[in-house]
Amino acid sequence: MVTNKLLKAGRDITSKSEPILELRGICKYFGGVHALEDVGLELYPDEILALVGDNGAGKSTLIKIIAGVYQPDKGEVLMEGKEIEIRSPRASMDLRIETVYQELALVDKLDVVENIFLGRPLTKFRWFVNRKRMVAETVDILKRLKISIPSLKEPVQNLSGGQRQALAVGRAIAWSGRIVILDEPTAALGVEETRKTLALIKQIKEQGASVIVISHNLRHIFEVSDRIIVLRGGRRVGSRIKSKTNIDEIVKLITGSL
Amino acid sequence: MVTNKKDKEKMPSGVAVAGRAKKLLNLFSYQAVGTLLVFLALILVFIFFTPHHLFVDPRNIKALAKLTPDLGIVALGVGMLMISGEFDLSVSTVLPFSSYIFVLLLRAGINPVFSLFMAMGVGALLGLLNGLITVKGHIPSFIATLGTMMFWRGVLYVHSRMWPIGIRAYFPAGSSFEHVLIGEIGGVVPAQVIWFVVFALILGVVLHFHKFGNWVYATGDNKEAARAMGINTDRVKTICFMIVGTLSGFVGVMQLLRLGSFAATQGLGFELKAIAASVVGGTSLMGGIGSIAGIFWGALTIQILENGLILMRVPVFGISAFIGLAVILFVVLNTYMRRRMMMMR
Repeated sequence: MVTNKLLKAGRDITSKSEPILELRGICKYFGGVHALEDVGLELYPDEILALVGDNGAGKSTLIKIIAGVYQPDKGEVLMEGKEIEIRSPRASMDLRIETVYQELALVDKLDVVENIFLGRPLTKFRWFVNRKRMVAETVDILKRLKISIPSLKEPVQNLSGGQRQALAVGRAIAWSGRIVILDEPTAALGVEETRKTLALIKQIKEQGASVIVISHNLRHIFEVSDRIIVLRGGRRVGSRIKSKTNIDEIVKLITGSL
Repeated sequence: MVTNKKDKEKMPSGVAVAGRAKKLLNLFSYQAVGTLLVFLALILVFIFFTPHHLFVDPRNIKALAKLTPDLGIVALGVGMLMISGEFDLSVSTVLPFSSYIFVLLLRAGINPVFSLFMAMGVGALLGLLNGLITVKGHIPSFIATLGTMMFWRGVLYVHSRMWPIGIRAYFPAGSSFEHVLIGEIGGVVPAQVIWFVVFALILGVVLHFHKFGNWVYATGDNKEAARAMGINTDRVKTICFMIVGTLSGFVGVMQLLRLGSFAATQGLGFELKAIAASVVGGTSLMGGIGSIAGIFWGALTIQILENGLILMRVPVFGISAFIGLAVILFVVLNTYMRRRMMMMR
């Protein structure tokens, strides 16, 4: 236990342990707009990394590159030291990277079970949907994450905002072994729901996965994250270990008044 | 992601039962219940109000049974495509086009079975084209298929000069090929009905039990979400377009055999009737909602409505007015019932 803590502390200071995911010199242009300019990012095992910045700073673009939605125009992506290309959302998922988008990516008219297994249902005889096993797995996942949803048969449009959020996060945790990316997980949530979601994020780390979380809410960031990377105008302007910084400094980095 | 046994045992048994019940419900989806009720009501009305109760006359029933699958099979594909969020107006051209290809091949002395597959293949190809134009061109399928409908119709009319081509000269009556497509089982049940049911079952299994069906619903309901979760929505839609084309090709040949002669106007009006049938069967115009059972009943309903009205001596040109009215009433009813179901939950 103590050694574990020491190791972590050591890594925090020297960053000597090898990152599970590393982005180097990433550039992304949309027409003439430089969304990202020479941005690097490194994510260590068992870490909750926060990505902050003002609107248009490039946070979403950066995670969409990791999620396989966008391809970088320049730069390289390394996973456990090996250079890789993430060509599609499917490729990202195959690398066991799960992304929870701000808009949650739930299909309203499908039920809870179908949403958990959206796009990759469990099958029997190779092709046919194995509903029974999916229901069993869903019950298992929800129980493990202490998410309470009244009925699994409910189309998810009938769920509350918090339940939907929990479902999307739960899906990511259930599928991911390595990296979970969360885009504004606490936006549009009530107080109680926010508390639950933050607890869920900490739970991801306990399950042995690394987390990248985007949020505008610095209080939430400081509550859950280990390290904070600040973007401004498509550039990385700083990386701070949470225990060695404060909200004030981060705000100054975000606004560029430092 | 592997459930261990312990957790499985702890799973509330009600959930498993509910899952099975849902499977049944899927087949006779609640969206189809409204359609089914009105369908039965229509039958009663027509039985009592057609002169001499002609509606239930065996000859009429047999005629209906031979006629309905034409629209029905096309509608199954169109409805599935609508669930994926797209339309296909070109069925009314793909159908005679495939039929024309079949006749040409037949005339060239090619084996009818092979010709049938070629006709279906051409249908699939035209469907593929519709799909590619829609997803690669990023244009609404309503427009894309309106264009292809008019384009292929023009090509067909010019090339065939709109002359009817009788098939008897190239095709002996009573061949086994003809029996399989339009014969009568035991001299009672027309083969068309069997084909309708077979296609409905196949597509029903694909849509409700196969993982492709899952993708279709996800694509139609929330394309962005589906794509974010790794579903290739473009491919899903294109495959749906191809299914419609293939089915239209099949119906083109089946209808050709029944009519005994190719007509460039085969399937005219099917594009909107197939959509009407799907909508009457509870398919949403927005995508993401619908079921094969619903589409099946919807097609039957449209056809029975038309047939009953003809028997009741409603002027031919007035029938369209009734069908239009019926479509609106059905959708209102279905929407109302769906809302009630939602509230009852």
